[in-house]
Amino acid sequence: MLELHNASVDIAGVPVLRDVHLVVPPGGRVALIGRNGAGKTTTLRTLMGLLPIRAGRVLIDGQEVTGLPAHRRAALGIGYAPEERRLFGSFSVRENMLLPAEVLRLPSAETARRLDGVFTLLPELKDLAPRRAAGLSGGQGKMVALGRALMVGTRAVLLDEPFQGLAPALALRYAEALKRLHQALPDVAILITESNPELLRPLVERTFVIERGEIAPA
Amino acid sequence: MGQWFAENGLLIGLALLDGLAYAALVFMVAVGLNMVFGVLRIVNVAHGSLFAIGAYAAASIGLFLASLGLPPIAGFAALLLAAALVGGILGPLIERLVLRRIYGQEEVLQLLVTFALFMILEDVQKLIWGVQPIFQDAPMKALGTVDVPFGEDVIPFTAYQLFVLPGVALATLAGLAWFLRRTLTGRVIVAVTTDKEAAMAMGIDAAKVTLLTFTFGAALAALGGALASPTTSLVPGIGAQTIVLSFAVVATAGLGQIEGAAISALMIGLGRSIAVYLAPEFEVVVPYLIMVAVLLIRPQGLFGRLETRRV
Repeated sequence: MLELHNASVDIAGVPVLRDVHLVVPPGGRVALIGRNGAGKTTTLRTLMGLLPIRAGRVLIDGQEVTGLPAHRRAALGIGYAPEERRLFGSFSVRENMLLPAEVLRLPSAETARRLDGVFTLLPELKDLAPRRAAGLSGGQGKMVALGRALMVGTRAVLLDEPFQGLAPALALRYAEALKRLHQALPDVAILITESNPELLRPLVERTFVIERGEIAPA
Repeated sequence: MGQWFAENGLLIGLALLDGLAYAALVFMVAVGLNMVFGVLRIVNVAHGSLFAIGAYAAASIGLFLASLGLPPIAGFAALLLAAALVGGILGPLIERLVLRRIYGQEEVLQLLVTFALFMILEDVQKLIWGVQPIFQDAPMKALGTVDVPFGEDVIPFTAYQLFVLPGVALATLAGLAWFLRRTLTGRVIVAVTTDKEAAMAMGIDAAKVTLLTFTFGAALAALGGALASPTTSLVPGIGAQTIVLSFAVVATAGLGQIEGAAISALMIGLGRSIAVYLAPEFEVVVPYLIMVAVLLIRPQGLFGRLETRRV
């Protein structure tokens, strides 16, 4: 589904990823584990097309997308929830979730179907829907960011350290939401980054470890 | 005090009317500058050039239409045409050829590049329009004057400055607020302003939004210049004066604030014109005194918000 082949990425002239090889199969649940600064976020941003790649290739569903800009990858069904939840603060929660559907010009039936799907998976979003995104707590914001990513990500979602900074009870709810997600939408691939490998063990089938910009041998 | 007011009352009235008209023009420029900064994250020094070229183009088109024997009211068409042409042609050219190369670069470099662009455009103006003052006030004359009652006196003031300038500014304010809130294109611009990467990940074509926003901001600056052209003689340097005042307005309001830009344009426009009438030696400093006073108390600007909490 998502493939990174021998990817090398520089940020401001400094090599951040070196020869990274990573494959997420269709419907697969994969963890990318590494310390702060190891290159987790850069890997996700590279997959999403938010950073230029110096060498290597990116494939989505076997198709080469290496030079494809981010918005076209979103249109291919890749959803992305950055580490900082990064919602559009002046919009309501509902507007945040509907924006991608409007931008991608989805038919209204398809938009309604996706929104229903997200509300079923994350029922708390229904109550939050009319609230302004800027006023949400950190945990609520993460849920909304996940919901928004799912509005786009019909084939895969990239979740950058979703558990970072979540209170234990919230982290548990978030993990349960991810389990429900896999049951409800088994075709949607999930790639999650995390610094603590124990946290994700029950949620994923495969784990990659990244150290100093390189995938460590398993 | 009563004595002083009796002597200076008319001047104050005139200063208020003048300040209102001037604030309307500065708002048009500042609001575009603000939008462009929000999306491009570049402080575009050349924004003032677009004001100046809009003014010159409006005067030239107006004079041309008059030479065809069209009635003075056709001058209003010249104003709109000038804004559309300058925004629609120069906007995309500048964004594509110059600004696109410096996105995300160091701020010093961005300032140098847009300042260089400003200098180049200054010379282009001199090349096309020369250095002799150009005067084309047909639209203003066509509307005549209105007697504005002020205390026991009346102040004759041009209907153009009294109604057209503030009217266009208010319509721009209301139109922009509606556009950014209620239309998809507007919400997309807000999304890119808030967080470009997150917006791109939602399927938004940031390059397209950037081009659109810059063109729109350029057209607003050009419209400001076009509207200003009947009220003044056009000479080299009007662009510089405008951009510097617009910076003061944007800094006072806080970045990303449209209603705030209107209020701070009003403060600075009124402050400046009161100085022009009552203490002309302070004309140049008053806008900055207002700005400094505001920023000392609220460094994020009058209406600017501090970053919302992330976690």
